[in-house]
Amino acid sequence: MSRDLSKVRNIGISAHIDSGKTTLTERILFYTNRIHAIHEVRGKDGVGAKMDSMELEKERGITIQSAATYCTWKDIDINIIDTPGHVDFTVEVERALRVLDGAVLVLCSVGGVQSQSITVNRQMTRYNVPRIAFVNKCDRTGANPMKVTQQLRDKLDLNAHMLQMPIGLENDLVGMVDLVEMKAVYYEGDNGEKIRITDIPADMVDEAEEKRAALLEEVSMFSDDLMEALLEEGEIDTQLIYDAIRKGTLALEFTPVFMGSAYKNKGVQSLLDAVEKYLPCPTDVKNTALDLKNNEEEFQVTNNPADPLIMLAFKLEDGRYGQLTYIRTYQGELNKGDTVFNSRTGKKVKIGRLCRMHSDEMEEIEYCGSGDIVALFGVDCASGDTFTDDRISCSMDSMHIPEPVISLAVIPVDNKAQINMSKALNRFTKEDPTFKTFVDHETGETIISGMGELHLEVYIERMKREYKAEVTVGAPQVAYRETITQRADFDYTHKKQTGGSGQFGRVAGYLEPLEEGEYEFVDNIVGGAIPREFISSCDKGFQKSVEKGSLCGSAITGVRVVINDGAFHAVDSSDVAFQLASIGGFKQGYMKAGPVIMEPIMKVAVEGPSEFQGAVMGSLNQRRGMIIGTMEEGTYTVVEAEVPLSEMFGYSTVLRSLTQGKAEFTMEFATFKPVPKGVGEELIKKYQQEKDKSN
Amino acid sequence: MGNEALSAKNPLRALGLESDGTDERRSMGLVMARAGLGKTAILVQFALDCMLLGNKVLHVSIGESVDKTRSWYDDLLSCLTEGEKLKDIPAIMKNRMIMTFKESSFSNAMFEERLNDLVAQDIYVPDCLIIDGYDFEENDYAALAEFKKFMKSKGLKMVWFSAVSHREDTRKSAEGVPAPCHEVDDLFENVLLIKPTEDSITLDIIKCDSCGISPGTQLKLDPSTMLIQKV
Repeated sequence: MSRDLSKVRNIGISAHIDSGKTTLTERILFYTNRIHAIHEVRGKDGVGAKMDSMELEKERGITIQSAATYCTWKDIDINIIDTPGHVDFTVEVERALRVLDGAVLVLCSVGGVQSQSITVNRQMTRYNVPRIAFVNKCDRTGANPMKVTQQLRDKLDLNAHMLQMPIGLENDLVGMVDLVEMKAVYYEGDNGEKIRITDIPADMVDEAEEKRAALLEEVSMFSDDLMEALLEEGEIDTQLIYDAIRKGTLALEFTPVFMGSAYKNKGVQSLLDAVEKYLPCPTDVKNTALDLKNNEEEFQVTNNPADPLIMLAFKLEDGRYGQLTYIRTYQGELNKGDTVFNSRTGKKVKIGRLCRMHSDEMEEIEYCGSGDIVALFGVDCASGDTFTDDRISCSMDSMHIPEPVISLAVIPVDNKAQINMSKALNRFTKEDPTFKTFVDHETGETIISGMGELHLEVYIERMKREYKAEVTVGAPQVAYRETITQRADFDYTHKKQTGGSGQFGRVAGYLEPLEEGEYEFVDNIVGGAIPREFISSCDKGFQKSVEKGSLCGSAITGVRVVINDGAFHAVDSSDVAFQLASIGGFKQGYMKAGPVIMEPIMKVAVEGPSEFQGAVMGSLNQRRGMIIGTMEEGTYTVVEAEVPLSEMFGYSTVLRSLTQGKAEFTMEFATFKPVPKGVGEELIKKYQQEKDKSN
Repeated sequence: MGNEALSAKNPLRALGLESDGTDERRSMGLVMARAGLGKTAILVQFALDCMLLGNKVLHVSIGESVDKTRSWYDDLLSCLTEGEKLKDIPAIMKNRMIMTFKESSFSNAMFEERLNDLVAQDIYVPDCLIIDGYDFEENDYAALAEFKKFMKSKGLKMVWFSAVSHREDTRKSAEGVPAPCHEVDDLFENVLLIKPTEDSITLDIIKCDSCGISPGTQLKLDPSTMLIQKV
């Protein structure tokens, strides 16, 4: 059963927090008849928006997990992923972008391009996602879609042009002028569902014509036919304009800008038309997979339903219907009851139930084809796994997953909580690759780590609410690293003779800084100084050594270990003896190799009214921050700085009180840098005290 | 390569500038050219030279983004080091802060307020100031003289401006400084002019109190890197 893929759109809706993307999605669902009443994000009716299906999201008014949903606009099938706006959850955004063909970048008409819009835009560029922009909240005081379009050009370097002009702004917003059709569009009725198309108001005609001329000149770069038509100065076929805009958008060389107010029900239908006209269908996008039978050679997926099945699990959820796995199909077809293979584990999986998700409601379907985004039931897998049928063995290329930078201890209050916590952690680590957990062998505590304070906070809340796991939480800990700064030799002999068979092994070589990568072992042994069977024992010993450094107990990274000499005993040498000799050798070399402690440095962007710029910079400076720059735009300023993560705990409270709650900040991991001497000494001292206490 | 060594081999030395940072003279300089000829590249070379000598630079960019300005520094530093990695790059970059303004939102008064904030709170006390994109057509002699006084009061060792000249405006000062700076030229101790010729780009020294070379000297610029070509 094949279907016309040109009528499928897989789109994401991404934006800065509080730009109104959940409200926009809600309206899209309303206009596409998926829901029959509108609920506001923080509405008085207590229902909350449809896409914010998690209790916590409804309470905080932010979208934490990207809920996938399906709708139909005219004859187009649209799969929408609503993505979180906060930077702590960017892995969700990245995952969504990985499986989507196009995106709508939502911007606030007052706030314009904000820090998170910049991050999201960068991510879209990384995954080559064509985008259209929607300037939302045009009903707000101070709304200025022209300014926002200019910011798209200046700040995001997008070739952005308005395809509409607002008729009225702020409270007077009633409709838009369509600059392609040259008509006025009004959104009327209680929910803006009645569209009235008329001539452009007389006082706007000149401006509209001027703007249209500029737009046509720009988009004619993408179409020779349009350019010719323009030169002939006759009537221009609107289809030529649509085709040119689409071509420019798909090539990521043009960004059409639409506007409206989702909250006031203005402009959403025109945006849906734009999704159809300008965003790509699955066959417009080149997706590649790695051929596992052919040395991971990259090949392009075909989108052909007759070809072997390839699909990617991009999201797991543990909801009221059991475990749900969201998948995107890239080629082939999947029918209910089919058996598929997980490329990572090699396990066979039978697909019992297949559903289209509508936020937290579902619709059972019999099959899904290429380009579809659907959910599977009861499939045991991890996020990022590829499924295929038995005719092919491949994997979709891996996603960019950042390393966690913050950790904290979670202690269950009782036995029941312990069991529930394990279940919850098991689920979360499968759902979210940036969320990790392990047990600290020395303290016996369970440690969770992630991308920021809010990231971990949300998981702790979810543990309590969804899994009834009551836990107490320790203070957040920064994931420090240790590394070496210079080459140092070692030569260590492990000898033990206490009756029975003894232990003997000698390992010599050197440690040196490794510029890229975490650990590298080089075997330069010649002449059998260490027998071949014990080389891997040496490697094991060194790997154990780098797990925990002796300065502050953090993992050691960026080290190359080279062994070039050694000795063995025909009877007393063993795997354990060489492991211990390597551990001894590493210890010996490490302290001579200029070890330093590294700390995670975060890229922080604080955005707020210019009057608070001095206070904001002062607060970052106090936190050992290095101010990279400030961007002043009239009454608004963005301060960019690099600040050690350890200094950023509780910053949101400080910032709120400094700026009367008018500034906000986003933060993402930038790099690891050596800690200043004083801080390093403090960390070493603390670690020694803890060690002494436990002895 | 150490910072001093890099500073010593900086092509800017062709101007005869002191390379040991001991020059205590305080001066105001101007780089002029028509649009798109590389004024920012020259300003960034002066800034990098200051930074390598351990001075703190405040780079004010009017009408450009922080990222774009930063990429000028990265590109030119990599040209100077010929791709060799500098051990102290993070430390050098600590000596730089970028402040960007929209053309419409920049004013002398607002900038003075921002600089006062930085200095008073001891957040960042610059030694050198770069102002790229200053509107000389909008600001008269008195405003610029006042601005110079303010910058002197902040103890700045060196201030460099850039200004756009226009082919169609042929006005010039007696010393040869083109419009729109022809009436304020006496406020500047150093004025350099970037000029395209048929097959190269030159840097003309109109006046330069801080330089060891005489006015009228013409230096060649490498058009791909905008570094001064060694003779």
